[in-house]
Amino acid sequence: MSESTTPILSVRGVRRSFQAGERKLEVLHGVNLDLAAHGRLCLMGSSGAGKTTLLNIIGLLDRPDEGEVMLQGQDAWSLPNSSRAGLRNRILGFVFQFYHLLPELDALENTTLPARLAGARGTRLREYRSKAKSSLEAFGLGQRLHHRPGKLSGGEQQRVAIARALLMEPQLLIADEPTGNLDRATGDRVLDLLFEEQQRRGFALLLVTHDQRLAKRCERIVHMEDGQIQADSTTPIPH
Amino acid sequence: MYQTFLSFRYLRARPISWIGVAGIFVAVSALILILSIMSGFLAETRNHLRGSLSDLLIQPHLDRVLMHEGQSVLPKRDSAGILEAVLEDPLVAGASAHYTWYGMLAAAGRERMLSDVNHGDLALVKLVGIDASEEYSVSNLEEDLKRVSLISDERVADPSDPFGPIPGYEPDGRPLDPILVGEQLARFWGLRRGRTLELVTAVLDPKTGNAQEAVSRSFVVAGTFRSKNNDFDMSTLYLPRSVMAEWFGAGREFTDVAVKLKDYKGTKAAAQASLAVRLHELGYLHDPEVTGGMEIRPWEDFQRSMLAAIENEKGLLGIMLSLVLLVAAFSVFAILSMLVQEKRRDIGILCALGASQWGVMGTFLMIGLWEALLGTLLGLGAGIWATLNINAIEQALSNTFGFQIFNREAYAFDHIPTVIEGGGIAAIVLGAFTASLLAAALPAWRAARLNPVEGLRHE
Repeated sequence: MSESTTPILSVRGVRRSFQAGERKLEVLHGVNLDLAAHGRLCLMGSSGAGKTTLLNIIGLLDRPDEGEVMLQGQDAWSLPNSSRAGLRNRILGFVFQFYHLLPELDALENTTLPARLAGARGTRLREYRSKAKSSLEAFGLGQRLHHRPGKLSGGEQQRVAIARALLMEPQLLIADEPTGNLDRATGDRVLDLLFEEQQRRGFALLLVTHDQRLAKRCERIVHMEDGQIQADSTTPIPH
Repeated sequence: MYQTFLSFRYLRARPISWIGVAGIFVAVSALILILSIMSGFLAETRNHLRGSLSDLLIQPHLDRVLMHEGQSVLPKRDSAGILEAVLEDPLVAGASAHYTWYGMLAAAGRERMLSDVNHGDLALVKLVGIDASEEYSVSNLEEDLKRVSLISDERVADPSDPFGPIPGYEPDGRPLDPILVGEQLARFWGLRRGRTLELVTAVLDPKTGNAQEAVSRSFVVAGTFRSKNNDFDMSTLYLPRSVMAEWFGAGREFTDVAVKLKDYKGTKAAAQASLAVRLHELGYLHDPEVTGGMEIRPWEDFQRSMLAAIENEKGLLGIMLSLVLLVAAFSVFAILSMLVQEKRRDIGILCALGASQWGVMGTFLMIGLWEALLGTLLGLGAGIWATLNINAIEQALSNTFGFQIFNREAYAFDHIPTVIEGGGIAAIVLGAFTASLLAAALPAWRAARLNPVEGLRHE
């Protein structure tokens, strides 16, 4: 995977500040970042470095004060609300540290939710449901399809979240500390699953973590500090 | 639609949402029940008032000179002629000439009444001289005479001839003239069939028609009637018209004519106008252009304040009960606001997965919609059911609590009257539905405006 291919994501001069009482808190100071299609990038940095803010801007959930976020070559933040919602649904996939499954829905329904949000009904919805079922079975959750999140372990919930993120075949998967809430062994299994799926499906993966071991499994590590990118290194991935 | 799917799930998973449904349900069913009962009271009261008053009342100004065929004369005073003229009108179904006068009832005897004015054995009554068969064609008198008594059975022996022979009445000398008394009055004075009563009144000067001297006369009670209108029953006595005409004379055979129309609502004004013109031509009434048609008036004119009071009460009650609807709508608002607050994380997740702001708003609005739909439909069903079964419900409650909830004597209705008004019910249902949706709109809009990042930070 080379950086010379057209980047799926291109962040240009992104700035973001927040008002904290009287003070204006500058969180991102003109961040530039590219991620190639099929690339695997690990974003590291201490707490408060601006990683999550950058991720929210890339994930089209938080509007930058300045700068551009190019997704598949188009400036996503210049699009109307509904188009951005469409991009989040079809192009982007999210995996969160706290899984963020809807407690009222079972594992299969949670996984199928993006298809429902895309307006799938009838036959199309049934197709997505069978696809979701296959994914969950492949992730070892065949016996847990109709369990609500409250009845699933952390590792199981995160696997459901991954299956949900992959249902619409996204081009870019954004994972914010995906193992941050799991024990080491479970975290490793979840990561194995994530990387296997990336290899198989070929989406780009943008990973935020504090975990050095995890970072080592990424081909590119970007360090952030004080709202700026400090270092960008490419490492061979050990298999 | 995912909004439908999710709203159902939230509704199912959050039992507190049912409080909103329950609020709307109670408000709608109570409003429907109360509207139906009030409408029933109004309709029943109108029926009774109309029954005793007929549709139109012709009250000629008998002592005022009018111009007839170029001459100044007094209006004609024969009952046969005016009845014939009225019945000729194609809009008229029946007519009855009355000789109406006022008197005092002295049940305990004239001497006692006059010797002790403070005794209270005295009542001001309206004496209505009628011809029974004529009267049956314009009012409910026949039914009122047949109606089963609440107190004791003092009904007339033969309703087809109410002034006919009275069983058990054996006069010493010349038989007294018969009189029909209202049941309430009979109860109050202890008047029974075959008993005598004394009326004190003033006769008229045959020339001027003015009251001239006080006279009294005894009558025998031929039976009681029950019109279900207590005031009417307390103050009205029916006598044969011929007796009244002979007693008061003054050259007149009647004082007013009650007219029943074939289609009261549709032809009230037309009949009033055509009768005024026709009766003026014949010399019974004054020129309607001079009197403003005041000699012929619809029955509502005589009960206007009473009808207006009931109508007004219905309106006021409606306004007060609409507050219940507001409370129900507020409960929808409060519960949905709580749900939005509780579901901030879910809203963030939905946005991250591709839901638009409108989609999020739609999801929460849909919860309000289900609450409104379910609450109004259940309320509609329960309200109509309770209206149809109100008497059985009242009986069951009365039996359970050991006292009569609906006092039949106070209202003189033997049942709680109800009328299911389609328009009113539609307004209640629509009002409840709209109020609930409006109440849901604000929290739903707030949900759509929530920052998804804030929601996702929520753990």
